[in-house]
Amino acid sequence: MPELPELNPVIHGKLRLALLSLLSGVDEAEFTWLREKTGSTDGNLGAQLMKLEEAGYVAMKKRFVLRKPQTLYRMTEKGRAALSEYVEALKQLLGNAVISG
Amino acid sequence: MESNVKDTELTERLELIANMMAEGRRSTTRWAWTIVLWGAAFYVAIAWSSGMFGGPIWGQHYMAWPVTMIGTWLLTWTLAGRMHKGAKAPKTTVGRAIMSIWTAMGISMFALLVPLGLSGRGDQQVCVAVVATLLGTANAASGILIKWKAQFACAVVWWLVAAASLFGSATQSLIAFLVAIFFCQIVFGIYAMICESRRRRQVQGAANA
Repeated sequence: MPELPELNPVIHGKLRLALLSLLSGVDEAEFTWLREKTGSTDGNLGAQLMKLEEAGYVAMKKRFVLRKPQTLYRMTEKGRAALSEYVEALKQLLGNAVISG
Repeated sequence: MESNVKDTELTERLELIANMMAEGRRSTTRWAWTIVLWGAAFYVAIAWSSGMFGGPIWGQHYMAWPVTMIGTWLLTWTLAGRMHKGAKAPKTTVGRAIMSIWTAMGISMFALLVPLGLSGRGDQQVCVAVVATLLGTANAASGILIKWKAQFACAVVWWLVAAASLFGSATQSLIAFLVAIFFCQIVFGIYAMICESRRRRQVQGAANA
């Protein structure tokens, strides 16, 4: 019997998973855009993004546009690889469930 | 029972990934208005260069195309900057590819038409053929990239106008060009704006559901 894969706990959180999936389709995204797409609060979003940043899955940069601060996030190569592994693990788990069911 | 709950949760996760990835890719900025703006700019340049307007500035027919094109480029740049303030949509690979096609087309047009005009080697039919071919190329590339048949149809119209321009008289060439601008810039631009606003409403509806 093959060993079942473990799901990455950093990515498994719904909001963190949504954020990584959103960032996988774009070059980089503003904090406000991510908030708009996920419908999350500033505090929760900031905390989840920080967790992803600490894991090295996203990179953050701050800049000023017309004197207004702007926070941009982009997915790192490590984050892209982690998301791919997570999707593969999910598919494997669901595949096993189908076979055993 | 527990296994079923877990399977549902896992399936939900997969759906969430697919939806969010699609949402990210769909988030392109609004550009359809530029198609209409440039169509209107072509009409202004044609009217000006053909002597429809009088006066000390409008009477300078040789200035019509360079002034109108540079002015429209500046207007596009200014309006785009104003429209995309705030939580603007992020850049995507497809968005960047489309932008590069139209930028390259604009530079090519400028690089070819200015020397053609200055050297006196380009008559009206040749100039229409050059402009129509370049517009056809850019529309075709964009249409193929985003799989939009309506835009590819515009490309075919431009290519037909380019070919017809070289066989017809100067008047026929001008009429073909004016008709193509109407359908491929004004009508198609308005249609694209309607599609954009419809898609935006759908996205907002799905997000609030």
